Amino acid sequence: MNHLRLGATVLASMMLVAACTPAGSGSASPSSAAGSSAASPSNATADIPAVVCVGEATTYLDWLNGDLKPDTQDAITEPSSTTGDLLETIKQRGKLAIATDANYEPQSFRKPDGSWQGFDIDVGTEIAKRLGVTAEFQHQEWDIITAGSWSGRWDISVGSMTITTGRKDLFSFNQPYYYTPAYMAASTRSGVTSVDQLPFDLPSGVEAVTRPTDSNCVEDIKANRPEFDLLITSGTVIDAAVTSGQPIVKIGEPIFQENLAVAIDKSGPTHAALLFEIDKAIGEMHADGTLTTLSEKWFEGEDLTQDPSGG
Amino acid sequence: MIAADAPKPDSILPQVEASRARADALFRLKSAGTWLVVIGLVLVGLWATDNIDTAFIAEWGPFIFGGAGLTILVSVVSIFFATILALIGAMGRLSRNPYLNGVAALYVSLVRGTPLIVQIYFIYLALPQVGIVLPAIPSGIIALSFNYGAYMTEIFRAGIQAVPQGQREAAESLGMPERLVMRRIVLPQALRIVIPAIGNDFVAMLKDSSLVSILAVEELLFRSQLVGRQNFRSLETLLIAAAIYWILTITFSYFQQRLERRMARGDR
Repeated sequence: MNHLRLGATVLASMMLVAACTPAGSGSASPSSAAGSSAASPSNATADIPAVVCVGEATTYLDWLNGDLKPDTQDAITEPSSTTGDLLETIKQRGKLAIATDANYEPQSFRKPDGSWQGFDIDVGTEIAKRLGVTAEFQHQEWDIITAGSWSGRWDISVGSMTITTGRKDLFSFNQPYYYTPAYMAASTRSGVTSVDQLPFDLPSGVEAVTRPTDSNCVEDIKANRPEFDLLITSGTVIDAAVTSGQPIVKIGEPIFQENLAVAIDKSGPTHAALLFEIDKAIGEMHADGTLTTLSEKWFEGEDLTQDPSGG
Repeated sequence: MIAADAPKPDSILPQVEASRARADALFRLKSAGTWLVVIGLVLVGLWATDNIDTAFIAEWGPFIFGGAGLTILVSVVSIFFATILALIGAMGRLSRNPYLNGVAALYVSLVRGTPLIVQIYFIYLALPQVGIVLPAIPSGIIALSFNYGAYMTEIFRAGIQAVPQGQREAAESLGMPERLVMRRIVLPQALRIVIPAIGNDFVAMLKDSSLVSILAVEELLFRSQLVGRQNFRSLETLLIAAAIYWILTITFSYFQQRLERRMARGDR
């Protein structure tokens, strides 16, 4: 009897494992993609849920909700006095505390030894160097950074934050240090390769679902979850995911342009001098080609530091 | 015949005991074997799906494992403060002063009536709005201590009440004042009763400390999620985290059981 029971347990667990295995996960996506394209020409509408996945507190979510107001930053003027400015505190401390969300390859991510890497990391390090201090990075979730009210836990955000009218109430911005196009991506299993194949209007005809960060959207698709086949994020993030072999494709033209800048919490101490110094440093980094070099290093040879609107 | 073999009924006892021990050992062997077989099957099953990237595990495993230090540190510091809070709380709960009693009862009720994750967020995100800004790790430790302190208050109260009344009466009849009775007679005995429960709570705390990952404290769960998202390999990273938590809890449970047995020895 005991042996029988043991046998049954073993059998049941084997069946459980088998059931949990996505039936040939390697072969499923190509065959279904091939099947759908064989049954219908490439410009026919795809039968996918009218749902788009975005990271929490992102401008992509604002865009889906129809209330994205991209903004620009006027030139920063030099303040008359630096007394009591956050800049003084930072220089005294010798350290610039930079918050970044390390979930955005190739902007900000980690190495196996725990150290930081990415475009934002290099830009943050360079800004600190030009201020004459050292950069100290700390991980914060993106929704916590963009919520404002940092309570002095860190000084600035070098996290590819898009300048928007709403965020200008909470943050002081510099001139953008680079510009990325926001793109839509589709799962390869959906067979969608162009926006024309989508049977719904964008953004009015779709529902937004959020995940803690953009890469969770990619991971859900990779895990073959059925909730959505579309996501919106920065073109650079999509490119990095595609390069690392994730089952998604970039579709369509850029949805909108993101002006990405350093942000400082407006509810914190006075920081007019810090803002000016950082703006000056970024201006110099634009002029001497530092930003271009870094952009080409991290974004597969692309220079994303030139303002596409020509401004 | 039977009378001639009179000592037989005695000598059969060791045989019975040996046979029982053999059966016991065999039972344990089979039970342990079942563990090995089931774990082996799950691992082989996962392997067969071709979704496990061993090179990835080798590359990132040490980084994730590095989070275990903070998991243990947060748990140890939190259980320490929780014990102090629980001791004070239990005194309050047993006090005949209605105000002290009320404060202690309110503390226990409030903490047990709200989710731990709400308490963690409250300390980290809500308190700064009234001017109290705490870094992430202290916030997590305070929340965990505060939470476990309330649960342990009830354990300590029960432990104190479990000290036989006669002990107290005997001490009082010797002329000891009430506070001295508590400190010298009741608490030492109560402590012996509750120490296994503290160990038990510590093991539970090891697991609940994963909740402070929401404050970007770089403990086990945080690191495994970070690496999992960044590389789109949550299967591996969550398996690593689960395995480390499991090994940690098994290890500490083992010591806790030994402690429990040692503490129980005096009662025999």
